Amino acid sequence: MKIMLKQIYRKSWFSTVILGIVLVILSFLSLFVGVIDVTAEELFSGDAASIELFLISRLPRLLAILCTGTGMSVAGLIMQQLCMNKFVSPTTGATISAAKLGILIALVFMPKSTLWSRAIFSFAFALLGTWIFVWFIQRIRFKDTIMVPLIGIMFGNIIGGITSFIAYRYEMTQALSSWETGHFSLVLRGRYEIVYLVVPLLILAFIFANHFNIVGMGKDFSQNLGVNYKAVLFMGLTIAAAITASVVVVVGSISYIGLIIPNMIAMFKGDKIRGTLVDTALAGALFVLVCDVIARLVIAPYELPIALIIGIIGSVLFIGILFRRLKHGRKAIRLGAATEAPCAVAVEKAVPQGGDRA
Amino acid sequence: MNVKNLIKKYDGKAVVDSVSFEIPKGKVISLIGPNGAGKSTVMGMISRLIAKDEGLIEFEDKDLSKWKSKELAKRLAILTQHNNVQMKLTVRELVSFGRFPYSGSRLTQEDYDIIDKAISYMELEAFEDRFIDELSGGQRQRAYIAMVIAQDTEYVLLDEPTNNLDIYHATNMMKTVRKLCDELGKTVILVLHEINYAAFYSDYICAFLDGKIARFGTVEEVITKETLSQIYKVDFEIMNIGGKPLTIYY
Amino acid sequence: MKNEAYRANVRKLVILSILMVLAVVLYMVIDVNFANPKFFKFSMKIRTPKLLAMLVAAFAIGAASIVFQSIINNTIVTPCLLGMNSLYTLLHTAVYFFFGASSFLAVNANAAFIVDLMLMIVVATFIYGYLFKKTNYNVLYVLLIGTVLSSFFGSVQSTMIRVMDPNEYDALLLTLVAGFDNINGEIIGCCVLLLALLVFILRKDLALLDVITLGKDQAINLGVDYDRCIRRLLIGVTACIAVATAMVGPISFLGLIIANLGRQLMKTYRHSHLILGSSLIGMMTLVAGQCLVEHVFAYAIPVSVFITLGGGIYFLYLLLKKR
Repeated sequence: MKIMLKQIYRKSWFSTVILGIVLVILSFLSLFVGVIDVTAEELFSGDAASIELFLISRLPRLLAILCTGTGMSVAGLIMQQLCMNKFVSPTTGATISAAKLGILIALVFMPKSTLWSRAIFSFAFALLGTWIFVWFIQRIRFKDTIMVPLIGIMFGNIIGGITSFIAYRYEMTQALSSWETGHFSLVLRGRYEIVYLVVPLLILAFIFANHFNIVGMGKDFSQNLGVNYKAVLFMGLTIAAAITASVVVVVGSISYIGLIIPNMIAMFKGDKIRGTLVDTALAGALFVLVCDVIARLVIAPYELPIALIIGIIGSVLFIGILFRRLKHGRKAIRLGAATEAPCAVAVEKAVPQGGDRA
Repeated sequence: MNVKNLIKKYDGKAVVDSVSFEIPKGKVISLIGPNGAGKSTVMGMISRLIAKDEGLIEFEDKDLSKWKSKELAKRLAILTQHNNVQMKLTVRELVSFGRFPYSGSRLTQEDYDIIDKAISYMELEAFEDRFIDELSGGQRQRAYIAMVIAQDTEYVLLDEPTNNLDIYHATNMMKTVRKLCDELGKTVILVLHEINYAAFYSDYICAFLDGKIARFGTVEEVITKETLSQIYKVDFEIMNIGGKPLTIYY
Repeated sequence: MKNEAYRANVRKLVILSILMVLAVVLYMVIDVNFANPKFFKFSMKIRTPKLLAMLVAAFAIGAASIVFQSIINNTIVTPCLLGMNSLYTLLHTAVYFFFGASSFLAVNANAAFIVDLMLMIVVATFIYGYLFKKTNYNVLYVLLIGTVLSSFFGSVQSTMIRVMDPNEYDALLLTLVAGFDNINGEIIGCCVLLLALLVFILRKDLALLDVITLGKDQAINLGVDYDRCIRRLLIGVTACIAVATAMVGPISFLGLIIANLGRQLMKTYRHSHLILGSSLIGMMTLVAGQCLVEHVFAYAIPVSVFITLGGGIYFLYLLLKKR
């Protein structure tokens, strides 16, 4: 028994290291992909133009990519844990569309708004949108796991409709289009730093990871363990909304990261959030990085918005996950499937699941 | 109707394995057996709802698959359990569909007479203008039977007609089945879970086990302690009430 | 022996037609300068193709949605919600992408439409046939995967346009994708002809649709060649969606709204009535909506925004009411 545990421990530790190493290598390589050739030699030999380019464009871009990838995937993971449903995420939980609406409101009513005030608006709306969605799905008891993302997507569509209504009304469609499809091409020094907010939020998420797990088990379950259900639920959703808002305000909306990365990691490593959080973050960063390189290479010297590449790859992967769930039923995606009644209502059903995992 | 060496496989596993039997005309025949014994699959195949893998089904001395679907619909009716109609359809409209194989969508005066008769036979006059999704389970089942009567076929196949019905409605359903045979002269084939209904209301019983026919014969021949214990793998006692064998299992 | 309900439905259809004609007349004459024949001619020339496009699109979407709902026996699913219109837009773009803007397809709108249509029928039959089979007609899965597919098609199409010409993205998008402010007038004749042909070819299958409503088992029991009939009808549905999308662009929720309103109003299984009713409601909504947009909002907000907004809320309502 002890040996087995040890093996599992070693195995989970192993995947994290591999992901980390690959990420570092790819990050380094991606710094040298771009319109203007920059080589490592130039950089180290102190070529001023190269260093300038590096600091203004390349490095900020890489950092923004890493923050986006880790942030969005962890935001998705948190939301899935809290709602006890594998298909909830910033995309399927109306968070992203609400964040966009927030930006639009800031643009319309405060034309001179800074990036920071837009971020605050975006955050407030993202939080509100997510809250309404979660409140909504908690009210409806008899729901299929698949029904929750469907409702979320439709809810997002409605918010999107309101957004385009306001955008047309105030002739803001042109201004809004920059956020409509997320891209990294405008990430330059001085106008992307908000995305660093993701880092402290991630740390916070890591500290409270176990609390999220417990709250996901349901209200009664968490009260039994002395965890304040409402406070933790609120905090978790706040973190997810804040991450989403700080990413959306800088790069625009990017779907699917928070949906597919946690699901794919969970397939390999199970559902305990502590064990998968780091892997999810690393895999998210890796995914966005790879997509970014693709986006820059397809029509070089131009680049495609990353949201399109992620939209294509992400939707295919998501459909794959859905088919897999259909085929393997309960085994493939344990969390959502095992309870069937998501979002913190099915306490009795959720408890034995803990036993399965042990 | 004559069935020879019928085989149906799912994923390489034979669910129905070399089943052969002959259906006597003008009788009530019940197919019984534990879950997964293949009785519903056999029913599906003899009603052309499920494609067979091997074997031969002869219907009125002609291969079933050679029959034109529309011609067959005038001679053989099947009623399954998957009848959740989402559309707004009244009882009378549903029963009218029974005449579809004869007249398509343009009904004749003769069709209307038959429809009226079917409705009154099932005592549905009071509901005939109600929508079927507003009816109770028992009423809906009766409406479907009325449609089958309007279809006016010699053979009537019913897949678990007593499912989801309470004792009152289930018993009345079985009485109707008997009447269909005795009064209207139809051959009725049913899949049943409730052995006592099969024992009390049928003429012949076909007992399935593991995709094969364990026993086919008159009620007295099949409803015996030995046969039933062997099929269902629980202990049985047979009693005699009103000249019919009834079972108790425990 | 036509009963009371039948006559009531005919009455409703007549009233709907009158309302539709009123909307059409309003749309055609509002703010038109009758005194000056030059202006009058000009207004008619602009409005007539737009009006025709809307009427044709409403009929195509109404018919396609009703038929599709009856086939899969579920009223919250419509072909547009599963992304069929995005698929058409994608295929249309793909034809330009692979054949180039200089080919005869770029010049001849009718030829391009026929090519699109053929492609659409093949690809849609393949994709959606696979989807239904794989999910075993599980409606929630079909819906969710359809929604994701729709965004997938959108992303691929967007990518193609950007690859073609990253600088002219917006301009190219406008030429490739029709919209209410940008209707595709050239192919109206072709589309009307096609729809008439479809109705003629499928008239028998449409009559069988009443029986198919009873479910697969019952339809076979009553002697319908089920698989063949479904195949033919599905091809009709994809063709209708192609027509509508080619003329007025992708509008996802219109079908859902008008098909369900039609069903609620007519309360019948007769598909001739359902299709007519839904189409009339659709025509009325579109024409009146466009009227409102042009004269009250002064073109500021496209009618599709209202449809998305209303349709989204209506969809949630339907989804939740079911449970």
